[in-house]
Amino acid sequence: MSKVLAVILAGGRGEQLSVLTEQRGEAAVPFAGKYRIIDFALSNCVNSDIYNVAVITQYQPHSLKTHIGIGKPWDLDRRQGGIRLLEPYIGRGDTGWQKGTADAVYQNLDFIMESRADYVLVLAGDHIYRMDYRPMIAFHQQRRADVTLGAVVVRLQEGHRFGILETDAAGQVMSFEEKPAKPKGTLGSMGIYVFDRDTLARVLMEDAGIDDNSELPSRHDFGRNIIPGMLTRGEKVFAYPFTGYWQDVGTVQSYWEAHMGLLQDHPAFDLYDPSWVIHTLSEERPPAYVSEGCHVSQSLISHGCVIKGQVERSVLSPGVIVEEGAVVRDSVVLFSTVIGAGSVVDRAILDKEVVVGKSCRIGYGDAGPNKREPDWLDTGITLVGKRSHLPDNLTVGRNCKIGTDVRPEDFATNSLASGETVENRAFEHGWERDFAVGLPATS
Amino acid sequence: MSKVLAVILAGGQGERLSLLSEKRAKPAVPFAGKYRIIDFALSNCVNSGIYDLAILTQYRPHSLNDHIGIGKPWDLDRRQGGVHLLQPYVGREDADWYQGTADAVYQNLTFIMESRADYVLVLAGDHIYRMDYRPMIDFHQQRRADATLGAVVVPIEEGHRFGILDTDMEGRVVTFEEKPAKPKGTLGSMGIYVFDRNTLARVLLEDARLDGNASQHDFGRNIIPNMLARHERVFAYPFTGYWQDVGTIQSYWEAHMELLDDHPAFDLYDPSWVIHTLSEERPPAHVHDGCQVTQSLISHGCRIRGRVERSVLSPGVVVEEGAEVRDSIILFDTVIGAGSVVDRSILDKEVVVGKNCRIGYGDDMTPNKQEPGRLNTGITLVGKRSHLPDDLTVGRNCKIGTDLRPQDFTTDTLESGDSVEDRSHGHGWERDLARRAPAKSSA
Repeated sequence: MSKVLAVILAGGRGEQLSVLTEQRGEAAVPFAGKYRIIDFALSNCVNSDIYNVAVITQYQPHSLKTHIGIGKPWDLDRRQGGIRLLEPYIGRGDTGWQKGTADAVYQNLDFIMESRADYVLVLAGDHIYRMDYRPMIAFHQQRRADVTLGAVVVRLQEGHRFGILETDAAGQVMSFEEKPAKPKGTLGSMGIYVFDRDTLARVLMEDAGIDDNSELPSRHDFGRNIIPGMLTRGEKVFAYPFTGYWQDVGTVQSYWEAHMGLLQDHPAFDLYDPSWVIHTLSEERPPAYVSEGCHVSQSLISHGCVIKGQVERSVLSPGVIVEEGAVVRDSVVLFSTVIGAGSVVDRAILDKEVVVGKSCRIGYGDAGPNKREPDWLDTGITLVGKRSHLPDNLTVGRNCKIGTDVRPEDFATNSLASGETVENRAFEHGWERDFAVGLPATS
Repeated sequence: MSKVLAVILAGGQGERLSLLSEKRAKPAVPFAGKYRIIDFALSNCVNSGIYDLAILTQYRPHSLNDHIGIGKPWDLDRRQGGVHLLQPYVGREDADWYQGTADAVYQNLTFIMESRADYVLVLAGDHIYRMDYRPMIDFHQQRRADATLGAVVVPIEEGHRFGILDTDMEGRVVTFEEKPAKPKGTLGSMGIYVFDRNTLARVLLEDARLDGNASQHDFGRNIIPNMLARHERVFAYPFTGYWQDVGTIQSYWEAHMELLDDHPAFDLYDPSWVIHTLSEERPPAHVHDGCQVTQSLISHGCRIRGRVERSVLSPGVVVEEGAEVRDSIILFDTVIGAGSVVDRSILDKEVVVGKNCRIGYGDDMTPNKQEPGRLNTGITLVGKRSHLPDDLTVGRNCKIGTDLRPQDFTTDTLESGDSVEDRSHGHGWERDLARRAPAKSSA
């Protein structure tokens, strides 16, 4: 059997996920309660019998490193192969911060060549999907392609977020346009590629050789430069049509929608399929406790949750506490967040370890886009950042953004109109503030 | 620091747990949804800083072997120390099946001596409790005791199930009576002991010389009384925390129901005393639209479309539409068919309850005719992997055996106290072979 190395690009910032990616890369953002986004690509790899995996990081890698560790949950703690985290480093030659997706792989070409893999599968670490990569690799072999990219049908109005391509009957790509303003079709690139190892090395070296001051500078990006360049040179670029579940959750709206999709009676993504288990680093927590007189419906509930209030159409990560009389609706609540007694959380995403005081209303009233981030916070979802503490009786409107490590004293009023933002501007890190006010660092 | 070796006695059959321990040893019986009974002793050990463990097995060890493996969940996969599963073996001379608890330890004395531990902590593998063993070992050292036993106050009416003891002011044991018909006090032995390693070896060697008429080779019946008769220093360490012997169906059920109190006596959620277990990777629980869950523990992988009240659900339990589960304990991957009502019952793993069944029905509390001594409190039991046909009605105190199939039920109504068992085949797969069905059913 051919040897395959999967290279997962997990260095992206995911700016459009707003406060969720302030302190972690997009790949490390929690998803579906107990998972992280990268778990889906990692689990697809091991479920496809690919046990050689490199994860390339750059932006805020700590969450990701803690999560992946030596790869135990995925059986990737191996002597031969297994998982490698590749981080930016300084070398003798022209190394530096990764300039684009292609540059990120180029800078780790030594590792890739030494892996002696026949094929390199380049994956995005920020998609939610269920895919057996083996048919795609077989397709690549059969077509004798120089490169094969995964392609899905996307909605026309979303086309501007993807590489849009056209193929002939055999699947060979005839045209490719990255993020076109006016998409000509609906076949979109998933941002995943199969290369023969040596072909990959060749195209990456060619791309790296392009001078930044040349007439046609390269952004060192697979979609913008590598694939179009190969097409221009008449290389054999094929598109493998993928028809299963695939979701780019790179915006707050799509992240929220993908969660709501899991709550359907027969969800498009079946997390319960024993033949395709999604693995993750699970903390040891007891079963969820649902107390007397409370109401839970159409929701995903994780271990360690304690529910004394109402939960409707929501996804609760491990350790979430919903106090008496509190209501959580149409929301995504991440690890160990506490919703105080009598508070109502509606259409909101609450990051980890948030403390919502008593009798708060989070996600309340009419919508109006966020004033600071109108482009991606305009669908009525309110965000609360990691470890923020919201005071009792606070009312927060729609499309609001409450930053990371905000404390009750950061709120000038007890009512935030829709579209407002509150941030902890005084200190970059929560612990700096804690020092400044003379509290122990881990209060 | 002194070196401590914990020896966990996990070979007992736990006959009073009826069906639950028919195919597995009592320490391997599931508890509190996702755990096994032995997890509590194991977690107490590692939470007490004890990383040298030997587990003595004998009766049906396979479940236990699978569960413990190399001890990963408890961080016991170590080069130095870690966990050792010791099974009966054949030696040059007098090795045989274990005659009693003391004989089990005696037959593994070589292992214990070679461990070079200063102290040996002998534990029962079948109790639910939360205990830091370090203060007990300190107590043993300070008193310069020959043996120290853990002691708790037990209800007087339960006294006949325990070793009952009397101490002086210092805690030295003055009298000890194993399972007295008329208990003289309420201080009961927990069946856990600290010995200096050499003292343990000495008393076990002495006991081993006695023949079967003179000694049953049991710690409570022989070792401790004989040490007292010789005026050795036997002390009782008073333990006041949560401790529960779940050796009967009624106490097993009650201990589960206590976990559902608003402030349970045993706090599974305490982050400073985590109970570790082998967790399978399963998604969060999905609670569907229009269902009702209250006062219950719900584990990962559960899918609930019906009602669940005052019950404990292990991972992977499915409650179909219109089904009701009340005051019950449902173990791993059991399916409750649409419209069925399960009341005050314990359903073992992988049971399939058909549609519109009533399990635990009616006011007739006739004790079980086969096991009147054990099954008389109204709890109905269903054994592992049994499939109950649609429209079946089962009364109280009933016992439905392991691996039954719908055709084993001759009527669709079982009166209270009735039992159904498959006596013709020892194992489910034998039956499947006999019926010329594949061993792994297609379901």
